[in-house]
Amino acid sequence: MQASNRTPMVLTILVVAFAGLTAAFLSDSWGYPAPRATIPPVDRAILDTATVRRSYADLVRAKEDLSDFDCYACHEKGHPPPLRYDDNQKLIVPTEHADVVMGHGSHGRNNNCFNCHNENNLTTLQPRDGRELKLEESTQLCGSCHGPTYRDWDSGAHGRINGYWNTKLGPAVKKDCVNCHNPHSPRFPGRKPAPGPHTLHGGDQTDTHASESPPTH
Amino acid sequence: MPAPTLHEPQSAPDAGMSRRSFLRTSAVLATGLAAVAASLKPLFEMEDFTSAEQFMQKYYKELTPEEMAKVLQRIEREVEKQYGVRPHVRDLKPMDGVEFVYALNLTRCIGCRKCVHACVAENNQSRNPEIQYIRVLKMPHGTFDLEKGDHNYDTAQVPEKGFFYMPVQCQQCHNPPCVKVCPVNATWQEKDGITVIDYDWCIGCRYCEAACPYWARRFNFTKPSIPADRLNPEMAYLGNRPRKQGVMEKCHFCVQRTRAGRYPACLEVCPTGARKFGNILDPNSEISQILRTKRVFMQLKEDVGTNPRFFYYFDV
Repeated sequence: MQASNRTPMVLTILVVAFAGLTAAFLSDSWGYPAPRATIPPVDRAILDTATVRRSYADLVRAKEDLSDFDCYACHEKGHPPPLRYDDNQKLIVPTEHADVVMGHGSHGRNNNCFNCHNENNLTTLQPRDGRELKLEESTQLCGSCHGPTYRDWDSGAHGRINGYWNTKLGPAVKKDCVNCHNPHSPRFPGRKPAPGPHTLHGGDQTDTHASESPPTH
Repeated sequence: MPAPTLHEPQSAPDAGMSRRSFLRTSAVLATGLAAVAASLKPLFEMEDFTSAEQFMQKYYKELTPEEMAKVLQRIEREVEKQYGVRPHVRDLKPMDGVEFVYALNLTRCIGCRKCVHACVAENNQSRNPEIQYIRVLKMPHGTFDLEKGDHNYDTAQVPEKGFFYMPVQCQQCHNPPCVKVCPVNATWQEKDGITVIDYDWCIGCRYCEAACPYWARRFNFTKPSIPADRLNPEMAYLGNRPRKQGVMEKCHFCVQRTRAGRYPACLEVCPTGARKFGNILDPNSEISQILRTKRVFMQLKEDVGTNPRFFYYFDV
């Protein structure tokens, strides 16, 4: 009979196939797809909630060295320091204050130290209404010109608040203007962005819009 | 009648069993068994096999406080076993008279992605493969066409001229399509507006992921990997407790923080103060001020009728 002649052959093929599959399963011969790319843990500096700058009030609170703010260590009391301008009517920043970048206001309009500093007492500030403000009160000075922004800051719409939204459960820490803005050059500084999303296998991202130019309309 | 002898040919039951067929049959059987065992190998490699305790656990809303305390202890035990860190797991309930709303100032966002990583660290998301609740779109000026957005920008410095940056995360809709499609009620909207997920009830069907118009839901395709030294031990049941393979997760406005009165992690880390959060039912909260006084604000994909609790606004 033909059928019974074929049985051993079929059985042998089945046995070989099973044995092969078993060997393949056990040895994991095809392995997993592509290995996942390693992603380095993110720099802890990215997780830091500190503000980009520290205000004078922060330094006082942290009991840090305030000798930089001791104006009369160099200047003489009762003698307002003279301001010098170059041929283009641009303020010449003295070398002692080389860290000051004059970048407040467009077109160099804010070109006078004593728009904000008090020329009669350099350790204080003076808005145009003549009030004398301590360095810790600089936000009041900013508000004397930037009214709408001050209003937004006051209501919480502008600026940073950390801590508790529910002040019954804990304090809300409101940051000052100078915690983010350099008063001499207030534009918020740019920075390197934190790492973007990684693909599973380390390949190129498929987002194709990166190279597209912005629309002209 | 004489007793049949062993060698009586017509009554021998193993007449057909020759040496050859015995060997052949045992070889086939042994190979077959080995093949089945080998194919089950991945099952034995599963590490976090659902415990009987978790399997028998009742639905979140049916748990009595005593049962909940037991569940929280089980989670603490499991997390400690897995990460070597004893966490503090709580079940925080929504507060009375509180409805959370988020607002994001598109004029201020510089696209630095700090919020993305602060969120990952706070909420114990998988680091590899990466799960991130927030994605930041770099958008060219003059359009709100999300198709023009780029997730993968990697420039030396942000912000770039001619672009604005739009972070997108769960919008905590008033009318959440993800909740409607869940076949097992593993996700629902709480009275403070947060749409939460019970990770122990989710069956991983991913319907909600498909239903969400904001691409805000993430699925754990593999067991999440979190370095033990980066684990945030301050956890909530509906919040940032470690997830297992095969469940959905998404932004929950940091319930472990916000229901304890604190601001969400993404807000606290934002260097520009572009992110604003608070109780819309409190007329003096900054969020109420913003929605009342800011001249322009919008909800993303307003037209799909989800009515998000997440607003984008501008300084004019």
